[in-house]
Amino acid sequence: MVLPPDSLTNASVAARLTNAVNEKLTNNLIQKQNLVYLELNGCSGNIISLLNGENPDFAYALNSMVNFRYSNSLMVAEGTEAIEQMMNVLDEDFILAVEGAVALKNNGLYNVIGSYQGKPLTGLQAVSMLGEKATHILAVGACATHGGVSAAKPNPSESVGIQQVHPQRKVIKLPGCPVNPRWFLGTLAHLLLYGEPQTDHLDRPLMFYSTLIHDRCPRRPFFDQGIFAEKLGDPTCLFKLGCRGPVTRTDCPTKQWNGHVNWPIGNDTPCIGCSQFGFPDAMAPFISYDTTRVVKDE
Amino acid sequence: MRNIELLRLQLNHLVTQARNDLYILATMNDSPYKNQILQRLWETISSIEFLIEYLASLASLSSTQPTMPIPTDLVNEQIQPVTPSPDQPLPDYEYRIFTTQELATYDGKNGRPAFVAVNNLVYDVTNDSAWAAATHFGLEAGKDYTNEFASCHQGQLAILAALPVVGRLA
Ligand code: HEM
Ligand code: SF4
Repeated sequence: MVLPPDSLTNASVAARLTNAVNEKLTNNLIQKQNLVYLELNGCSGNIISLLNGENPDFAYALNSMVNFRYSNSLMVAEGTEAIEQMMNVLDEDFILAVEGAVALKNNGLYNVIGSYQGKPLTGLQAVSMLGEKATHILAVGACATHGGVSAAKPNPSESVGIQQVHPQRKVIKLPGCPVNPRWFLGTLAHLLLYGEPQTDHLDRPLMFYSTLIHDRCPRRPFFDQGIFAEKLGDPTCLFKLGCRGPVTRTDCPTKQWNGHVNWPIGNDTPCIGCSQFGFPDAMAPFISYDTTRVVKDE
Repeated sequence: MRNIELLRLQLNHLVTQARNDLYILATMNDSPYKNQILQRLWETISSIEFLIEYLASLASLSSTQPTMPIPTDLVNEQIQPVTPSPDQPLPDYEYRIFTTQELATYDGKNGRPAFVAVNNLVYDVTNDSAWAAATHFGLEAGKDYTNEFASCHQGQLAILAALPVVGRLA
């Protein structure tokens, strides 16, 4: 973090960062590393979100940061050939990023990601194998960090987060539904440049997950004065509609989404706590209209 | 005029506080206190912003209404959220004994307050930020959550200490 008396203009911050990276690059201190991006029981929303990244964007990550060795959705190879590429990485050093939950039911058969040596390869097998060898494990998105939507009641596939499969290993957790590309690419960049980022007691990188949304929300003055929205679209504090900003820690209020375009509260809809452990069940109901006024069926 | 003088003193105090925090931040290396100081700085600046707005409104009012009284709690650091008053005036809670059924009616719906019980004390969470729409991690207001509190917030008695007590459970 940079604070006065250092110059704080955008240009000087950018210059500081580029100089630091260039210096490390010329001294050969940063090397491209292998990345395996495994998609398990989920909706692929995190990889779609990743394609939306900016500064760095996905192309930069692909060309300059990592050797992208495996990705269910994005790689050219398919079928056995794809799975073989995954197996080949096992003999090298690699960072493992996992999106989606691990389905445990029937020995993992509720989530089959390919076939290997004529047998179905389950997500459970893949993550057990890869997780044992990886230099770092990143759980990307709600499902991988704590089960998320895949583990929502009644959880027919018995889905769990990555940590349950690897209880002994440090799993860096990036909750979010989906994860913001900045949180993933930022953590990846930190791994390459400086090693593991500082994390909190729930293994979330502090640089993205330390501050409550409620503490940086532009609508906080309305909360403090008790002026509350009664319906979606009201430009005041969304607390009475069920805003989860006060229990959710992300940098959404300041850095926002889609390349700093907007974020839920900026668009007059309450935070649904997508980056809180236990989402979605623990954050329900997402919206309530019966707190501030009398509804008909009362 | 004396009140304006008080506000000026308060503003000066806040500006000194902010300068001091900036100085600490600029000279300190990575330290676990950094976030706390940043938080204090943020709150100081919010207070300054509020006082400026207030002074501006005083200035615009003073032409029409020169003797506007100043609320006595103005110089307090934090402005407390206002509890929206339900239709009927509430009885004096201090010595109020709630049965489980009575507690269940304080569910935070339709303008009613939201109460929860922990260890036989009944707390008002109507305007507690963590209990938006009278729900908190799948729990609905109006019930006894002694066990849930013990399993989720073990040892975090500060949470309870900060909540207003409205009575006891029968
Ligand atoms: C199902 C059990 C519960 C869970 C999982 C839970 C979870 C949490 C979490 C994760 C936070 C912190 C959010 C953050 O700062 O990052 C929190 C805050 C809070 N919880 Fe709970 N909670 C539970 C039960 C309760 C109960 C029964 C009460 C009743 C008084 C309560 C009152 C609060 C309050 C007042 C805060 C805000 C604390 C502060 O500002 O420091 N919680 N809860
Ligand atoms: S809109 Fe949500 S995060 Fe913002 S001040 Fe209100 S309760 Fe807090």
